[in-house]
Amino acid sequence: MADVTFYYLAVACVVCAILAVTRRNPVHSILWVLALFMHVAGIFLLLGAEFLAAVQVLVYAGAILIFYLFVQMLLDVPGEEAGRRFGKHWPFAAVLVLSLVGLAWIASNGTFGDVVKAPAPESTEASSSLATFGDALYGPFALPFEMASLLLLAAIVGAVVLARTRPQT
Amino acid sequence: MTVSVGEIVGLSALLFGVGLFGFLTRRNIILMFVSVEVMLNAVNLSLIGFAWHFGDARGQVLALFVIAVAAAEAAVGLGLVIALYRNKPGAGVADLTDLKW
Repeated sequence: MADVTFYYLAVACVVCAILAVTRRNPVHSILWVLALFMHVAGIFLLLGAEFLAAVQVLVYAGAILIFYLFVQMLLDVPGEEAGRRFGKHWPFAAVLVLSLVGLAWIASNGTFGDVVKAPAPESTEASSSLATFGDALYGPFALPFEMASLLLLAAIVGAVVLARTRPQT
Repeated sequence: MTVSVGEIVGLSALLFGVGLFGFLTRRNIILMFVSVEVMLNAVNLSLIGFAWHFGDARGQVLALFVIAVAAAEAAVGLGLVIALYRNKPGAGVADLTDLKW
């Protein structure tokens, strides 16, 4: 059952991502990315990362993506829809991307094959709990955690400074 | 679940490739940012896949940091976009050639 769910979510992820990248209307693209993030959150649940699935839905889908949607709607949607979707160089990008994905595929089956093909350790269930996650976050990662809060503060101040209108003097 | 971590890494590579294609080819600056978000999500997927495989919570912590950095990037990037459209209405990515030598 879990396998069927995983394969459904995987196929839906790839389809949503391709639709998001190729739609003409930017708002439709962003809504397809929303569907993609929901499916990725489902995979996180299957992999025992319940907290990150919740963060994915709340922060990523609920805050970041809606922010993108608002800014896109403030700008010129009909003009974007009328123009060309892709730059002239898109075949080069396609070749680059296909070679990169092929390389990743070979690497995941060759060099790291022994690691990734091995069955998951039995202790996975116990170590995926929220308590373990919290111990790691506030134990060895306490300093990076505080630095992340500083980074977010800098980003907030930077966004306000960048988007502010200069007072007319 | 009998899915191996190799399949999760493969899915992550596919999603990363789709996001990279979107970033390199789309001409709308906001959709370029959204493609970057797709790539960040692919990386999160592989981090959490390895955390699940090795039974180690550190991969999940790194994924949380990736989400925090994505939020900061969205705030600054969209602030830049708004400032850009205020100064040059209707400017697309192709028109931004001020730094072109």
